[in-house]
Formats: sequence, structure tokens, C-alpha cells
Amino acid sequence: MKRLLFILFILFSLNANSQCISNQSFTIAPVGPYTPGQVVTINYTLGNFTGIFINWIHAFEINLGLGWTNLTPITTPLNPAGSAGNWVWDLQHTFVGGLNFGPGWRFNNTGNVDWGTSSIGPFTMSFEVTVGQTCTPDNLNISMLVIDDCTTGGWTGGGGACCIDPAFDIYNGVVQIINPITSNINHY
Amino acid sequence: MNYYKQKELLLALFITCLLMISSIFTFGQTTINPDTVCVNAIGEQYFVTNTPTSTYQWNILGGGGTLQTGQGSSSITVDWGATGGLYINAVEVIESNAAGCPGSPILLDIFVLDLSGNSIGPFCPGDPTSTLVGNPVGGTWSGTGVTSNLFDPATAGVGNYILTYTMAGCNTTINVIVNNGPVTGPIQHF
Repeated sequence: MKRLLFILFILFSLNANSQCISNQSFTIAPVGPYTPGQVVTINYTLGNFTGIFINWIHAFEINLGLGWTNLTPITTPLNPAGSAGNWVWDLQHTFVGGLNFGPGWRFNNTGNVDWGTSSIGPFTMSFEVTVGQTCTPDNLNISMLVIDDCTTGGWTGGGGACCIDPAFDIYNGVVQIINPITSNINHY
Repeated sequence: MNYYKQKELLLALFITCLLMISSIFTFGQTTINPDTVCVNAIGEQYFVTNTPTSTYQWNILGGGGTLQTGQGSSSITVDWGATGGLYINAVEVIESNAAGCPGSPILLDIFVLDLSGNSIGPFCPGDPTSTLVGNPVGGTWSGTGVTSNLFDPATAGVGNYILTYTMAGCNTTINVIVNNGPVTGPIQHF
């Protein structure tokens, strides 16, 4: 009985962890670990977004560790068979429901300004980010958080049942610090 | 012909060995801690292995030393002070790499060697041989009348001599006088 409950719990957990999004993938080049000054390019794809209670995809938020700097968008996601509008790059944006967003792409719906897009994907985007100059092993985590328009507060027709998919981990690591090793002092 | 070729080959090998030994002493020299310098030494050169993309912060923290040239590079020159003694961590260098990250400080103790304050004599020609004891002990005396750190006034003869005391690459000189003895006339009977 206990075992059955455990299996059900695991299945529930898996379901909860991929509530609206599926088929996430990425490439990262070069492959880590990273040293100060390195420029890294990430390609990310969300294969499918199926919102619950007509929740639509609204934003892709890039979460970066403090060791990164100079985040630059390269490729903007498309909007296949989606609502009227386009994806825009933003370093910071406050959604109608008060959600503080950024950096990343958010959908600018030109019909209903607070909604996302009805597109279910796929969405592919890329960006570049640089390892900051540092002497400490700063955090270099990268993750992508997909946000629906229930979470942003733009869609309230779902009765508050928002997608709760966790951020998708792209990289976990810290800056590789190579401190100089000095020889002994010599005297001619 | 073969004889000369062999000779040339041996000569070339000999020169190669000399160059290798020379390079070991020039570039791979390892200074024993503490390093000994003479009082008031000028232009003493200190270095660490150079990494071209690094910068080097040198600090002279004792011994009356003054950094003269080379701050920022892997090699500096220092002028030392006039007060002898052991100075712990007198030379410090901190290397920073291209990103500006510092390495651990590297330190060197300095012993400033002061040979001043030595004196001996005066002597008379008939005085026995004297052992020359330098300050600090352990050095070598040289000069007229000196053999194996012994001074023989009879060998030197009457006069004023300069003796040299040498130790650890430092030296100092002192004046030694061998005076005339009294010239006594014959005994008279009143």
C-alpha cells in the first residue's frame, strides 16, 4: 500500500512538474566550466505549450546567476499560429498583475494587451551571455522560466489555476577562478 | 682527421654543458631564506618567474630597503639600509593575473649583514701571532701578514696595513698598525 502511494506521489509530482510545457531542450556553446570573460551562446526551444483553463503562454524569463553579465538576445522566438502580436525583448517589465518580469522575451498581444499568445509552439530563441570579471567563484546558473498569462495576471478566466511549471535548468556551475601561483623570490 | 673531429665534438659537448649549467644558475636560481645582503647594498635584484599576462606588486617591508626599479614587473632592484639585522618578511610580492585576481603573497626574509666594528692591534714587531676574530664570526681575513685568519706582526713588519674581512659576499677593511719597538741603548754604569 505504501509503495503504491509512493508511486502515485511520484506520478503526481512528475505531472505537476510539466503541467503546461513539454519538450524543452537547449544547446550551450562552448560547454562549461567557464572562466571570466568567456562568451556563451544558448539556444533554447520549448516544443509545446498547452495551457490549462485557456491559459496562454506569455513570457520567457531568463534567470541568471550573479556571475553573468552582458546578456544579449540573438534570436527572437516566432509565434506560429498564434494571436496577433509579437515577442519583445525586455530587461524588466511589470505585468498587469504586478509580476516583476525580466530579463527575457514577453509576448506583446496587440489585440488584448494583457494576454499572451494562443500559439502552442514550438518556440526557439537564442541569447548570448558573458562571464563577468571576478576573482570569486560566482554563481553561473542559467534557467528558463516559462510564464503563462494567468501568472502575469492578464487572464483571469481560469479561476486562478495558473501553470506552475518550474524553471528549466540550462546550466549549473560557478566561475572557474585560476589564481596565479607565484614562484619563490630569488636574488641574483 | 677523425682525431680532430672527435676533439671538436668533445669541445662542443663541453660548451653545451657549460651553457646548461650557466642557465640553471641564471634562471633556476633558488635563494635560501633568509637572503643575506650587505649593509647599504645598492641595486640588489630580486625576481620571480615571469608570467607575461600577470602584474606584480612588490613591497619592501623592512631592512631599510627602498624599491628602486621594476614595480609591476617580475623583477625589481632594491637598495638596502645601513642597519644590520634579520628582517622577517622584508620582501613581499603579490602576483595578479590578467583578470586582476591576486595570488598568495610570497615573502622573503632578509639578513642585512654589517661587518663594521672590527678592530685589532696595535702591535709591536715582536708580538706573537694573533688570531683574527671577525664580527660576526665566520668570515675570512686577508692582507699583509695574514695567513689562515692569523696575523703575524713579525711577518708584516713595522707599518700601517689594511686588512680585509670578507663574509657572504660582503667585506670591510680595518687599519692595523705595527709600531716600532723602543730602541734601548746599552746599559751604562755611572
